[in-house]
Amino acid sequence: MTDLLAVQDLSKTFGGLSAVKNLSFCVSEGETVGLIGPNGAGKTTIFNLIMNEFRPDSGEIFFKGEAISRYPTHERVKLGIARTYQVPRPFSEMTVGENIRVGLLPDNLWKMVTEETDEALEIEIGRSVGFDDHQIAQQPSELAMGDLRRLELARTLAIQPSLLLLDEVFAGLTLGEIDQISELLVERKKYGLTYVMVSHDLRSMAPLVDRVIAVSFGEIITEGTFDEVVNNKIVQEAYLGQ
Amino acid sequence: MIRFLDQIRWWLLFAAVMCLLPLVVSTGTLRIFIFANFLAIFAMSWDILSGRTGYISFGHPFLIGIAGYTTAMLTYHLDWPLYSTIPLAVVMTMIGGTLFFLPALRTRGTYFALVTLAFMELMYHSMQVVQPKLTGGTRGLSGLPTVVYGALPNYYLSFAVMFIIAVGLWLLIRTRLGIALNAIRMDEDAVRSSGLNTTRLKLFAFMISAMVAGIGGALYTHYLGSIAPRGIFEINFLFTILVAALLGGAGSIVGPIIGAFFLTFLLELLRPYIPGAGRYLIYGVIALVLYYYAPKGIYSLIQPLRIRLSRSSRGAQID
Repeated sequence: MTDLLAVQDLSKTFGGLSAVKNLSFCVSEGETVGLIGPNGAGKTTIFNLIMNEFRPDSGEIFFKGEAISRYPTHERVKLGIARTYQVPRPFSEMTVGENIRVGLLPDNLWKMVTEETDEALEIEIGRSVGFDDHQIAQQPSELAMGDLRRLELARTLAIQPSLLLLDEVFAGLTLGEIDQISELLVERKKYGLTYVMVSHDLRSMAPLVDRVIAVSFGEIITEGTFDEVVNNKIVQEAYLGQ
Repeated sequence: MIRFLDQIRWWLLFAAVMCLLPLVVSTGTLRIFIFANFLAIFAMSWDILSGRTGYISFGHPFLIGIAGYTTAMLTYHLDWPLYSTIPLAVVMTMIGGTLFFLPALRTRGTYFALVTLAFMELMYHSMQVVQPKLTGGTRGLSGLPTVVYGALPNYYLSFAVMFIIAVGLWLLIRTRLGIALNAIRMDEDAVRSSGLNTTRLKLFAFMISAMVAGIGGALYTHYLGSIAPRGIFEINFLFTILVAALLGGAGSIVGPIIGAFFLTFLLELLRPYIPGAGRYLIYGVIALVLYYYAPKGIYSLIQPLRIRLSRSSRGAQID
């Protein structure tokens, strides 16, 4: 398998705090990689660096073999990287359908103004993540946490990414909602979508991931299959303390 | 489509009422309407940038001033005809405004507001001391030619320009561009994460805003026949534009028009009772009370009624 994403010697400090230290890892096409670690390990910072929401102090990120560190966020998205947020960030004054529409917008002013909205596609994407027609017309304030996570997924899927960065996608969900989202991710994986997934819910993550990378204090402490990593003594110490 | 046609009907009704208005109101009232039309243009100009994207501009008089001074200096010193100075003033506003505002668009929230406020102050002082022979210094320039003469032609001109701008902006915002600009106001990072170049979108909104401010600024200057730094770059003028947009309903096209008419007439109604700047205190209190009870503006109070009327008229047609 070829590397879809390659992170090389990435570092980021905030003041005196080193959030990510010489971090390197690769993600192959079609693979699902779990990124685990205790609170403050630097998992979300890694996502922010990949998306250019923070600029790295040093290091390089390659996507489909191309160095992307100089690219702004929207250019990285156009290349095929998309992300969800730890806390869902819907456009609060828009309906579910309109939220999905933002993901479908072309980054071209002329097309944006002259082309019509494809409402059928909006509804199709909404339905594909489990929304019914009534929910598609609802506002985010009327939705439960599970629905908000599905809305984030729908908006990112509308972008048609090849790599999806999922930040705490199971946080705050009921068991039923976790099953729904897991099924959706498995379904999408069949079509070749690649994931990097951050989650504290290791049990829910287990059946989905091909490989797990454990980080602590911004450094990779180990990587391997799910069982290898969670049974690793250093990982257990990082989570639970000595 | 039905909704679109329905909204077109409301625009046509508004135009019809405004066109027939001179038949029933006095010349004095028409003059108030002229000011209301100009304020509506300025409020819409502010709203297309600030009401949509959430980038609160305190520098709109700066844009209006560029247009006003450009056309004023060209007509006053060079005697150029208005049909060339007004378009030139609009282009200058778009170029000059962009040169100043583009760096400001890299800032957000309070910083953006303060940077734009600084532009207005900069312009206020520059116009008085830099090349006063050209700008007229503190006294400004007067005796400028007018586009048309008399209250009635000026009323129709100001209304026609305001109406064309309003419908043009409404048609533009109805497209997916409106969704994108509104999304920036709600969460700019999430818009960027959706693959959209938000700098380009904001710049486009700014250019449209500057164009509208330029048209309004140039025509307003020639309507008044004079321009002076204290008239254009006054803080009360800035706040009247902001309050008109916010009170009427920011983030809509109709809201700023309603706000502009409401404010202009409120200030005029208060004039006999409270002359001078004291009126602003009363209008400030009224604006606060209204804003407290209807934070989304007067339009949010009227809109349900309009929708109900539209539905009942459609029902009557079906019957």
